[in-house]
Amino acid sequence: MMLQFDRVELDSESDALRHHVREFIADNKDHLPQPNSDFVTGHDAEFSRKLGAKGWIGMTWPAQYGGGEKSNFARLVVTEELLAAGAPVSAHWIADRQSGPLLLRFGTEQQRQQYLPGIASGESYFSIGMSEPDTGSDLASVRTTATAEGDAYRINGTKIWTTDAHRNHYMICLVRTEAATENRHAGLSQIIVDLKNDGAQVRPIANMAGGEDFNEVVFDNVLVPKDRVVGEPGNGWAQVTSELAYERSGPERFLSAYRVFVELVRICGGEPTPEQSAAIGRIASHFMTLRRMSISVAGMLEQGKDVVVEAALVKELGNNFEKLLPEIARTVAPDLSLENPDAQRLFRQTFEETMLLSPSFTLRGGTREILRGVIARGLGLR
Amino acid sequence: MDTRQLIEDTASKIFTDHCDKALLDRCEQGDFAEDLWQQIIANGFHQLGDAASGTTPADIFAFLKVCGRFAVPLPMAELLLGHSWAVAQLAPCEGLVSIGRQHGKQAIQVPWGRRAQRVFGVAENSQVVCVADAPVCVQEGSNMAAEARDTIELGPDTQQITLSDDPFAQMALARTNLMAGTLQSTLDLGLQFAAEREQFGRSISKFQAIQHSLAVVAAEVAAAQRAADAGVDALGTDRFIAEVAASKARVGEAVGIVAEQVHQVHGAMGFTHEHRLHHFTRRLWAWRDEWGNETHWQRVLGARIAGLGADQAWGFIATRG
Repeated sequence: MMLQFDRVELDSESDALRHHVREFIADNKDHLPQPNSDFVTGHDAEFSRKLGAKGWIGMTWPAQYGGGEKSNFARLVVTEELLAAGAPVSAHWIADRQSGPLLLRFGTEQQRQQYLPGIASGESYFSIGMSEPDTGSDLASVRTTATAEGDAYRINGTKIWTTDAHRNHYMICLVRTEAATENRHAGLSQIIVDLKNDGAQVRPIANMAGGEDFNEVVFDNVLVPKDRVVGEPGNGWAQVTSELAYERSGPERFLSAYRVFVELVRICGGEPTPEQSAAIGRIASHFMTLRRMSISVAGMLEQGKDVVVEAALVKELGNNFEKLLPEIARTVAPDLSLENPDAQRLFRQTFEETMLLSPSFTLRGGTREILRGVIARGLGLR
Repeated sequence: MDTRQLIEDTASKIFTDHCDKALLDRCEQGDFAEDLWQQIIANGFHQLGDAASGTTPADIFAFLKVCGRFAVPLPMAELLLGHSWAVAQLAPCEGLVSIGRQHGKQAIQVPWGRRAQRVFGVAENSQVVCVADAPVCVQEGSNMAAEARDTIELGPDTQQITLSDDPFAQMALARTNLMAGTLQSTLDLGLQFAAEREQFGRSISKFQAIQHSLAVVAAEVAAAQRAADAGVDALGTDRFIAEVAASKARVGEAVGIVAEQVHQVHGAMGFTHEHRLHHFTRRLWAWRDEWGNETHWQRVLGARIAGLGADQAWGFIATRG
């Protein structure tokens, strides 16, 4: 079983773009008070609008919908530079990575025209409505119903772990539009909910890291127009599985703990102990390899290839590594750096924040167990 | 078909026909794989990397990956790198060429040093290598995979040549590519065994625990392939040592995980001498410690990044290729 991650070399244009992004970040330092490479933390609408004005959201989409018609490689350069710097990207992240490409591929022409330009300008933000209180990894078991009534659907049910539903404008909800049959994957649809106007109740849920990023969203007879169904009613399962593949191989799947590495290098100084050098080198060897694998997958996406298994491999390796990174760092970081109290404070702060977020790394976007199942299927074991 | 593909396909065919379990067992008893050696020479593989043969130094490492897949019991890395180092600097050597770590007047851990007609001694942090054309074997030895690793007296008439790519790192990269190939074979053996072995009335590949173990193995094997290629791509660049450091450290880490999981999947069967799995896993365990283990190379890479400083680390990682 050969698993192919081809050598891909970014072109010289990518250097210019990378340089441009670094200049932009340097000019916007006031948006990075506490740099954090986790893509879920840091909701900053003003920063997202600035990125939109630069053409760095919806970069690969057609110009008619506000896109930049750039390659997947250009998008990767922008996203990895933003994450490595610890820029606040969560406002537009899901819309850019996932909801936009979903609407582009499956949405109606009217939906593309209505939603994509706002996403690309960094002004319109989306949440993902998949999980429910009784539906986690077993996504086909969703119970939220959308019942056709004239020109509308009546939605009843509850979505949970919905990141930024209290801040974002829309949510693409996986719902049951027809009663369940023996084929559990039939009768599911994706429907766009306007979180500000449709009447869904949004309740923030505090997480163990002290953040209030995710929510419970309750639908009690919420009516939405029929033209909000993404693509064809009943096609929800096929759409949702292709949507999940977009979100599995990007740099956000191994860079979440990057700032801990930066602060480790800083606190260890120019003459690290052999143990500290080994820790820094070990972490770097993983980053260098994962990044190249992620670029290989971008190359496959560029060629229109199916990347389900390769993306799952990158996410499996990347998520395990971003949990391992703080574990390596803590054992070699100086306990007390009296000479350099600022670096000491920065390391502790970044380390603690990342450590507290780390349980989510192997849960979001498909748990480790689900991903290993996807890989096993690719290996022909199931 | 491009040259690289032709090299890989031809090598695979020769090894499929001439490198089986029986040969590996015989070589562990001290036999030299003479027939296989003759096949390799007859097909011109000893000239790989020489521009006159229309191949590049990178082709050597692609060929070593294939050698790793078959656990080829010959010092191919030493022969090919030794030839490529000699080009334009030394008289050609028709016999066996090998390479060891220089230790005073000796070269140690020299693969098949006892049969070598030319031996190179390589020291760390030096682009100068020592060459002996009348080497004397003073002690025969072996590594944990029962591959010949001998101590050689280099003698009074040694020459010195200077290489552009760090020779110690080239040797580490050779082991890295051999390991990448061998890791691929251990995954294949694990998949094959899990499909064939039945317990509780079904193939053990149907159990989720086994599926997840093999998924972990596949992820490590995929990472190892990409890491090994990255080291090869840095040949001739000023990042060569740092990229080899990342490459050997990452692949060495994969070895520990993969060998452990694949043995567990194979159960007691894989612990027998009769099963061929150990020919691969013992080589992996030996090679990850030759020419610098993970810690050695992690320190090299870490010191380089520490020297650049925290805010330059990303610029170092975010390369174009």
